[in-house]
Amino acid sequence: MDLDLEERQVAPVLELREVRKAFGGAQALAGVDFTLLPGEVHAVVGMNGAGKSTLVEMICGSFAPDSGDILIDGERQASLTPRRAHAAGVSIVHQKRTLVDGLTVAENLLLGRLPTRAGRVLWKRVRQEAARALDGLGIDIAPDAVAGALGPAEQTLVEIAREVDLGGRVLVLDEPTASLGGRDAQRIHRLVRTLRDRGTAIVYISHHLDEVLDLADRITVMRDGRVATVVRSAELDLPALIRAMVGDRLVHERSGTSRSPGKPVLELAGLSGGRLHAFDLTVRAGEVVAVLGPAGDGQCELFRLLTGLRRAESGRVTVNDAEVAPGNVGASLAAGLRCITGDRLSYGLVPALSVNENLDLVRRGRRRPWLVRWRDIHAQGRQARQRYGVTTLQVDPPVSTLSGGNQQKVLLSAWLDGDPVACLLEEPTNGVDVAAKADIHRIVDDLADRGAAVLLSSSDVDEVVRLADRVVVVRSGRIVADLPMDRVTRDDLVTLTAGGEQT
Amino acid sequence: MTALTALKGQARLALPPGVSRHAGLLTVLLAIGTVTALKSDAFLTGSNLLNVSQQIAVVAVLAAGLTLLMTAGGIDFSLGAIAALAHGVVAQLIVAGFNEWTAVGLALALGAAIGLVNGLVVTLLKVVPFVATLATSTILGGAALLVIDGKSISIGEHLVSLGFGEVAGAVPALVVIAMVVCVAAGLVLRWTAFGRNAFAIGGNENAARLAGIPVVRTKLLLYTLGGLLAALGGVMLVARLGAASPGTGGLHLELTVVAAVVIGGTALHGGSGTLVGTVLGVVLLGVVANSLNLLQINAHYQDVALGTVLLIAAITNHLRGGSH
Repeated sequence: MDLDLEERQVAPVLELREVRKAFGGAQALAGVDFTLLPGEVHAVVGMNGAGKSTLVEMICGSFAPDSGDILIDGERQASLTPRRAHAAGVSIVHQKRTLVDGLTVAENLLLGRLPTRAGRVLWKRVRQEAARALDGLGIDIAPDAVAGALGPAEQTLVEIAREVDLGGRVLVLDEPTASLGGRDAQRIHRLVRTLRDRGTAIVYISHHLDEVLDLADRITVMRDGRVATVVRSAELDLPALIRAMVGDRLVHERSGTSRSPGKPVLELAGLSGGRLHAFDLTVRAGEVVAVLGPAGDGQCELFRLLTGLRRAESGRVTVNDAEVAPGNVGASLAAGLRCITGDRLSYGLVPALSVNENLDLVRRGRRRPWLVRWRDIHAQGRQARQRYGVTTLQVDPPVSTLSGGNQQKVLLSAWLDGDPVACLLEEPTNGVDVAAKADIHRIVDDLADRGAAVLLSSSDVDEVVRLADRVVVVRSGRIVADLPMDRVTRDDLVTLTAGGEQT
Repeated sequence: MTALTALKGQARLALPPGVSRHAGLLTVLLAIGTVTALKSDAFLTGSNLLNVSQQIAVVAVLAAGLTLLMTAGGIDFSLGAIAALAHGVVAQLIVAGFNEWTAVGLALALGAAIGLVNGLVVTLLKVVPFVATLATSTILGGAALLVIDGKSISIGEHLVSLGFGEVAGAVPALVVIAMVVCVAAGLVLRWTAFGRNAFAIGGNENAARLAGIPVVRTKLLLYTLGGLLAALGGVMLVARLGAASPGTGGLHLELTVVAAVVIGGTALHGGSGTLVGTVLGVVLLGVVANSLNLLQINAHYQDVALGTVLLIAAITNHLRGGSH
């Protein structure tokens, strides 16, 4: 027994030694050691830019290190390519899902290696093999289902199953639960534990630190291109983990002062559309009201309904007692309603345009000038960047080159221009590092303090606790609770969203 | 290729970004010019260069409109057919006794109206631009032949001042028109909200719409402008040739225009584009055609050359896009 254990300890399935990598002049990895044992869940955490993604891409062979060694099963890999890494059993499941939407789950699982006889696909065997692969991992998804019709969690599960079926022994999961709610995330966690018990080594990347503490056996904390610490997850708690990630920087907690909301500003009455049913809500001036629900639940409809991208099936929206014409983007903006997307690259920013021009986008949309005054745009851009703490290396780079946190600040700055009356913030810290998160939380606080009615749509309990004065919990598109923040605890909210009753 | 990229790298240090972006294109243009000049004495003569500039003037006018449209993520395959129709309409109106400038005005209005229809089909009926304009292109190609009844129709001495006139005693009127159109389009793209909105729409239509940018109106205006400029190209064609005839304009002109814009670096999926690039693309195609002529290479090679240049340009654009 002892010998067995010892053998396991000295035989890591993957090892990185003193790996360095620079891009241009910037040192992305400055000498990193990393050891992955079979049958462990090894989380890698760190703020944006800490070097997590570079590390992961290197493990998968996408980048070659400038110096240092990568060993798989103790063998030094001279020139690792994605194909070689894959052949050696190292697979990655990216945050962006890569299933072919139009094909069935079974076809996706066996993509590129469908069993054939004389060129004819053996469909019966396809289904059998797929069902076997899914059952073996305890995944409850029909092989005949079309991949595009699956929810995001199920798509991730199928992708993981595919990589495991291909013989993956080292599995890199890049933010597998990033946009998932509690119950969906738990399905992923269950699968991760199953795989660990079967001896698969798992590198787990996540921004959700609770999840990391709960799931991982060991945690590597990265900071500024180095390994800040490697610890067993049992040996530290959330504050300690955050301290390790942030270093000397401060972590901001909720400000103690409570706000005194003014008159009702934003009112939703019987609003129905998509997954949202007869939704009633009032947000008063200077108040932050959170709509919390499992990811993908009713709160996600709010953005489309309030922006006017989608026409409500029934119900109405009023801002300062004036009804906002439904399904009309212009009317929504004119009413003083600002809706800030949680998917900044799809609905918020124009990636190829410069930071300053993106900062000017909403202002231009509102004021409709004839000419563009670049000098003014740059001057206002500088001010906005200073105010919102957007840092860039170049003078005015395309917004696509910024880190997630900076992009999010550009988004907020652009859309909150000119003191909005009411705004909807959808997952405002999605894919953002801890420091940027604190900045963004302060921006939201400031917004409410200046008298805006703030509606927060979120699936992140911690964020709701940090920001909201009042919380409305939705499940299956219906309100299950509407509580002032000082009367609920974090645990209550977790229970409510996970489907239990409030205790 | 390696020499080319190396040169680009150097140029980026020295030249302003507007020029360095097109350093590769400029180099190719200079290389072809040098080779042709060395092999043929006729190339660098004033009359030849004037000739080339007049040939490319029509392409430049159409390409200017298409650059704006493609920057906004649109595409119009009917521009060549609009030009063909407009040139036939002008000829028939003049033959029917209309004042020549009235005829021109009517043709321009027709072009703008067709562009507007294209825009309406694309924006309100939400047909994919490629298919919508391919359909109108086919319709208009037929209509252009119907208008002139498949025959050559002479306009006699009408529109001579446009086709053969000169400004300041040296520069052909057609070239002046093309320059004015291109400079204006360049300024629009850089300095007007309309132009910047085209970039925003091409770069991310959802974000642009949510920001309150008038997406539908901008697109309608872009298609209308494209149609108007295509008709202007048709007017220039008939003025230059002195007659409307089958085979003028149409698909071949269209492909040359699209090729010039793509060679100039405008992204097919929208979001980026410059008029400087487009003009360089137009000039490059004109010079290539001219040098094949001067070097007495079989005329059938012209299309081969056009396609090859387009392919190389598309590949380099892709590689450049990938390096970001």
